[in-house]
Amino acid sequence: MAGAVSSKGCQKIRGSQIRDLLDAKRYVLFDCDGVIWNGETAVPGAPEVVSLLKQQGKLVFFVTNNCTRPRENYVQKFSRLGFNDVAQEDIFSSAYCSAVYLRDVAKVQGKVFVIGGNGVFKELRDAGVPFVEEETDVSDGSIYDCPLDSEVSAVLVGYDEKFNFLKLAKACCYLRNAECLFLATDPDPWHPLRGGRVTPGSGSLTAALETATERKATVIGKPSRFMFECIASQFGVDPTQSLMVGDRLETDILFGANCGLDTMLTLTGVSRMDEAEGYKDSDSPEKKKFVPDYVVDTIADFLQAQEED
Amino acid sequence: MAVSKCNRLNGALIKELLDSVESVLFDCDGVIWRGDQAIAGAPEVINSLKKNGKRVFFVTNNSTKTRKMYADKLAKMGFNATEDEVFGTAYCSAMYLKSVSKLKGKVYLIGSNAMKEELLNVGIEEVGTGPDPITGVQIDWANVPLDPEVKAVVVGFDEHFSYMKLNRALQYLSNPECLLIGTNTDTQLPLEGGKAVPGTGCLLKAVETAAQRKAQVVGKPNHFMFDCVANQYGLDPAETLMVGDRLDTDILLGSNCGLKTLLTLTGVSTLADAKDHQLSGCPDRLGMVPDYFVETIAELLPALQG
Repeated sequence: MAGAVSSKGCQKIRGSQIRDLLDAKRYVLFDCDGVIWNGETAVPGAPEVVSLLKQQGKLVFFVTNNCTRPRENYVQKFSRLGFNDVAQEDIFSSAYCSAVYLRDVAKVQGKVFVIGGNGVFKELRDAGVPFVEEETDVSDGSIYDCPLDSEVSAVLVGYDEKFNFLKLAKACCYLRNAECLFLATDPDPWHPLRGGRVTPGSGSLTAALETATERKATVIGKPSRFMFECIASQFGVDPTQSLMVGDRLETDILFGANCGLDTMLTLTGVSRMDEAEGYKDSDSPEKKKFVPDYVVDTIADFLQAQEED
Repeated sequence: MAVSKCNRLNGALIKELLDSVESVLFDCDGVIWRGDQAIAGAPEVINSLKKNGKRVFFVTNNSTKTRKMYADKLAKMGFNATEDEVFGTAYCSAMYLKSVSKLKGKVYLIGSNAMKEELLNVGIEEVGTGPDPITGVQIDWANVPLDPEVKAVVVGFDEHFSYMKLNRALQYLSNPECLLIGTNTDTQLPLEGGKAVPGTGCLLKAVETAAQRKAQVVGKPNHFMFDCVANQYGLDPAETLMVGDRLDTDILLGSNCGLKTLLTLTGVSTLADAKDHQLSGCPDRLGMVPDYFVETIAELLPALQG
């Protein structure tokens, strides 16, 4: 039987359609990489879009799986790239949300063994969550016999360019205790870089650890709901008045679907229109969650919506 | 057809089983040794089998040693065995690349020096072994220089595994023509004293996840390991016994290849695991139910020496 019952979604919108959509939304959630910027370059028009939405009285949040920076660095990046009035409170990164989860949800007693970088360390420090920082060039012990910290009660794995076998082995030792929590900042298998290149993501490191321990990590980042719950608990956000704008179907759009938000795919990043349509044409009900409600070429199209009368 | 399975091998049954086979394949870790310690009675079992005219082979997913290194280890522990009787994944991966993939070109290797050596023995050059720490910044990593002669990424056990190696593998694999081969998917590498470290399976999973594709796996339970032995020695599956400690690799290999299977309980899998598979009734799991089990292979000794 060809086609599902309703093949809605993937609606390319412009002009007044965008205006009508935005009029009904009080909260707009943006992914960052591939949506408002690419690397160190703002998507043209993106700073103006953010300003405009704020002027219209909407609450604008930035929801990113990128755990390599602490939020204060993000604030600097926003400013550097021409976005004005973006405060730390508007930014929800997987590093920040992991710290919040550990402190407020898991209420972790003891230390966290971290496979990650400065972004995660700073957020944990700011949240007052003690952690063990694995020094990569300290050769105390080997993979066969490594000293463990008896106060570790959780393992958090995120993007770590210094990842090595020793860290993997240590994390496994800690996770052998079923009481030890197992958290991952995000599931992204790879990250896009300039020029269509990719680099391995947190998801690939998490996969190694899950395989070694035969345990599944609790994932903080998109598409898991937690980052939205974080925002909602701080700002009282109503999902029905919210729009999630992202560039990656398997994270941003699925995240939106999981949280009951309307979703918009922008084509300035990872996913392509034909991929979105592929999910739309699929018979599998699971795949439907990857289908965005709306599609724009770039979020700069929001500006055009204002110009039209 | 309900064939009786998971039977305790004892008494007259032992001699009956041994008389019905001509060749015996042994896994190593958890079966004949643990780390650097022989399982009590194991050397005597192997040596007696040979005295009784049986052919004995060693089939291991462990990729950290060459055939020669295994032969040395076996000899040191009192096993009467030769290099030609050992089939580890370092050797079998090289054979796979040579005879099945018919690889023309080099390999980007995440693996041990043993793997490097076995590859060179079949005339395949590699790049990548040894420590490879991260340098530079993110954009450098996407632009690491790639050797244009590399036609395959091969992943085995590598204690020097690092993000940079994972990254290099990903860059090579962005060419869809580049092969991805894994030695095995074992999640742990067993050591002596009941210890274990993360196994090749984890490293392979990291590469597969980053590259979003599945590797061709050479090791057990893939039948290639058996094919390797059978082709060189003309084994008849019906007259071959596979002895192992892991249901999902050793026993499944045996089932996949039509061998008789014997589970020994000195390693990873438990009798409860085996019974679980048996009771599940799930066709995918029935291949992991052994024909027989023993507590240790030393139980075979009386029948061999009597």
